[in-house]
Amino acid sequence: MPEKALSVGEYLTLVNQTLQCIPSHEVIVEGEVSDYRVAQGKWVSFDLKDEEAQAVLKCFMTTWQLKSPIEDGMRVQLKGAPKIYERFGTFKMNVTEVAAVGEGALRRSYELLKKKLQDEGLFGEGRKRELPRFPERIGLLTSRDAAAYGDFLRILNNRWGGVQVLHAHVHVQGREAVGDIVGAFQFFNALPAEKRPEVLVLTRGGGGLEDLHAFNDEAVARAVYASEIPVVCAVGHERDESLADFVADIRASTPSNAAERIVPSRQDVLYEIGTLEQHMESRLRDTIQDQQFSIERVTNLIGFILERQKDRLSRAQEGILSRVNAWLPRLSDRLSGSERFLRQVDPKRILARGYSLVMAGGAVVRDAGQLEVGGEITVQFATSSAQARILRLKDKGQQKLV
Amino acid sequence: MSAKKQEVNFTEAFSELEEITKWFDSEDQLDLDAGLKKFERGLELASELKKKLAQVENKVEEIKEKFSQ
Repeated sequence: MPEKALSVGEYLTLVNQTLQCIPSHEVIVEGEVSDYRVAQGKWVSFDLKDEEAQAVLKCFMTTWQLKSPIEDGMRVQLKGAPKIYERFGTFKMNVTEVAAVGEGALRRSYELLKKKLQDEGLFGEGRKRELPRFPERIGLLTSRDAAAYGDFLRILNNRWGGVQVLHAHVHVQGREAVGDIVGAFQFFNALPAEKRPEVLVLTRGGGGLEDLHAFNDEAVARAVYASEIPVVCAVGHERDESLADFVADIRASTPSNAAERIVPSRQDVLYEIGTLEQHMESRLRDTIQDQQFSIERVTNLIGFILERQKDRLSRAQEGILSRVNAWLPRLSDRLSGSERFLRQVDPKRILARGYSLVMAGGAVVRDAGQLEVGGEITVQFATSSAQARILRLKDKGQQKLV
Repeated sequence: MSAKKQEVNFTEAFSELEEITKWFDSEDQLDLDAGLKKFERGLELASELKKKLAQVENKVEEIKEKFSQ
């Protein structure tokens, strides 16, 4: 090798000069950030990677160049000048501009906004309002081209009737979406009371963060928050979430679920009405039966008392009768004894045997001494009497006037 | 706009029916006369509500305003 050799430094200078031929202002590189570090608050370094190709680009920049925060996992696009650092022999990209793109970045800004709104109290459970039980007017905010529109109305019609749906056709994605949605919220809330819906439904089908950007927009979240009319928000599928969901009074999982949350089902309400009817009827029936029972009870009681009185009466009667029966023969025995006795002492019977009764001055004469000669006496015989005059008297000598 | 003016407000009628049913539970000794009157009113409400439930149509009205800001 007779030719003159370059020193390493000279060679690397040559490479770097060659690298400057790349039109760095026009070339944009996109990849995912990893191993993001900040040294001494000034020097930012990270790896930019392709997921598939396992290619790594070492990046370097200053914190002043970094306009919006980046972090590991974020997808970014960047511009910069490639360079080999002579001292370490490392190839690096001196980044001049970097901007987050795609899901990763949106996810990040979503999380940041979510935290901000949460800290402000927009998701507070305390401010969630109850929906009317049987709404008659519903404001529907969605695109008429969205599947959500059809899903919502189909379930609404299946479950319930007689509702007036005011449909505000709004874009649910794209540049116009945020303005449309915010405008529709203002429109509904500005309606006079008699035309104003009792509940608003903001809905669309599911999608990635990019599709849902309007539902994650701060202005939309604040419009939901500011709505005087309660808001039901339903985005896509079960697992999808959006900031509008968190602010809304009710977060429904799908457009169909929103309809289910807003109106009851006919069957349920019919059943409930039937139950109420039955309950009233059975309570009334119970009352009537209770009163019937009371009347019966009183009637029975009166009957019972009467029966008892009758019993007592007849028992008393029986008692008296048996007592009478017991002492009646005795009484008649005594009576006939007395009669016999009386009959025996009857003076008439003695007179009938031939005795006479002498009476003077109305009194029976027991002693002739009571008499005076010449006195008048009455002699009572069994059948009649005679008047007589005393002819003689003897002391202690009894003389019968026979 | 709904063409026919709704003669029965579903919410009000339903609440009244619930109130009546609650009344039946409120006391042990119901006044039979009052009970019969309430029962009659309850049945009337229930039948009106059922009639309303038979109504199946929901009306969709498109709002003409442009909302874009």
